[in-house]
Amino acid sequence: MVHYMIICRSLTYAQRTARAMENAGITAIVMRSPTEISGSDCSYCVKISEKNLAPALMVMKRAGLDPGRIYLKRSDGSSDEVIT
Amino acid sequence: MIYLDSAATSLIKPYSVSVAVTAALRTMASPGRGGHAAAMLAAQKAYETRELAAALFNMRDPGRIVYSMNATHALNTAFKSYDLYGKKVVISGWEHNSVVRPIYAAGAAITVARSPLFDKEAVVRAYRDSIDGAALAVVNHVSNVFGSILPVEEIALLCSKRGVPLVIDASQSAGILPIDSEALNADFIAMPGHKGLYGPQGIGLLLCTGNNERPHPLLYGGSGMASRSSDMPDYLPERLEAGTHNMPGICGLGAGIKYVLEKGTESLLEHERSLLRLTVEKLSSIKKIKLYCANNIDNQTGVLSFTVDGVQSEAVASALDEAGIAVRAGMHCAPLAHASAGTYESGTVRVSFCAFSTSDDVEALAYALTNICKRV
Repeated sequence: MVHYMIICRSLTYAQRTARAMENAGITAIVMRSPTEISGSDCSYCVKISEKNLAPALMVMKRAGLDPGRIYLKRSDGSSDEVIT
Repeated sequence: MIYLDSAATSLIKPYSVSVAVTAALRTMASPGRGGHAAAMLAAQKAYETRELAAALFNMRDPGRIVYSMNATHALNTAFKSYDLYGKKVVISGWEHNSVVRPIYAAGAAITVARSPLFDKEAVVRAYRDSIDGAALAVVNHVSNVFGSILPVEEIALLCSKRGVPLVIDASQSAGILPIDSEALNADFIAMPGHKGLYGPQGIGLLLCTGNNERPHPLLYGGSGMASRSSDMPDYLPERLEAGTHNMPGICGLGAGIKYVLEKGTESLLEHERSLLRLTVEKLSSIKKIKLYCANNIDNQTGVLSFTVDGVQSEAVASALDEAGIAVRAGMHCAPLAHASAGTYESGTVRVSFCAFSTSDDVEALAYALTNICKRV
């Protein structure tokens, strides 16, 4: 399953981001960032489905939340940073 | 035991608080320390409690609500953000040692904005006359000794106009009086979780409400974030939350705040005030008792101090304890407040109510005090 991961500067920021999305009807899961993205440093991200990237970015903009780095994670486990 | 010492700690809590504390002990690890289910559950609950506090205190960003051990810890953290050495700091005459001692320790030149008891206008005048040139102003929302309400809204406005940062000690008002942090525009609002918010001991909150974007940490250590950096993260709340969180405390506090939100501060305050009125009525008829109460009840919460002629305050509290009634006597860690009220030598006996206090408690208090006074 392809999905996007929005990397957040902190756990609380990720939670705030996820809450803003949930309030807008977008399913968002806060999780630890995968090692290949975080480089083994402590980091959290918000996971959203492929179809929800555009509305999620809109929600974040409205809430004044900075999306930071965004990664596309593919079903084969590979990932790439997305330029928005 | 009849418990009338809620200004120290609200011993009687909603049942949901103990359920939440137990659930945290049994199921939660540390937020921000790992991605496994127990850590993520803790993270979720920690955030939910921030959201509940944000709802109660009208904070736009729950991330600016910092967990502390208690109000003293929160106040010390707030003061750490200012260079106070040799600088003028204005405080009210009703401050607790949790304000006086850290400011004194910081080497500040303390100016006390003195005012008579229960005189809000005099408090505003005293701050107006004192705050020019101050590096910081601090105000107690409610005196822990006398229950007198200080006009924090007016003082906040005054400080804002004069460009003086303000720290509010909401130890006795959080959960009892409405606090609109966005409207107050103070730099910090500090409070304990174990009094009017009905959480367990060992948890408090620091609302970072002002424009201070990079408050100075009091403690340094692990934050679960930016671990390769030798410095604390430069964002809230992690910047001010070094070390493992008190999850049982946080979850209990969340349940307590939920209870306050459900009841509403207006109804909780009215309940305490109805007991205050009854206490004043009952104790006024005992000749040897001197009450410290407001003429206008709008100036007081459910905290009442009194003295008994010819009996040391501590002795009155001991006698009440023998009668099964828990109150507090002495200085209440607030010698400045006693100096302001003229009770520095005697101290006072203090009764304080919570949502679970009843009129029967007041009747028992009045009966016990009548007997104590007869023995003198």
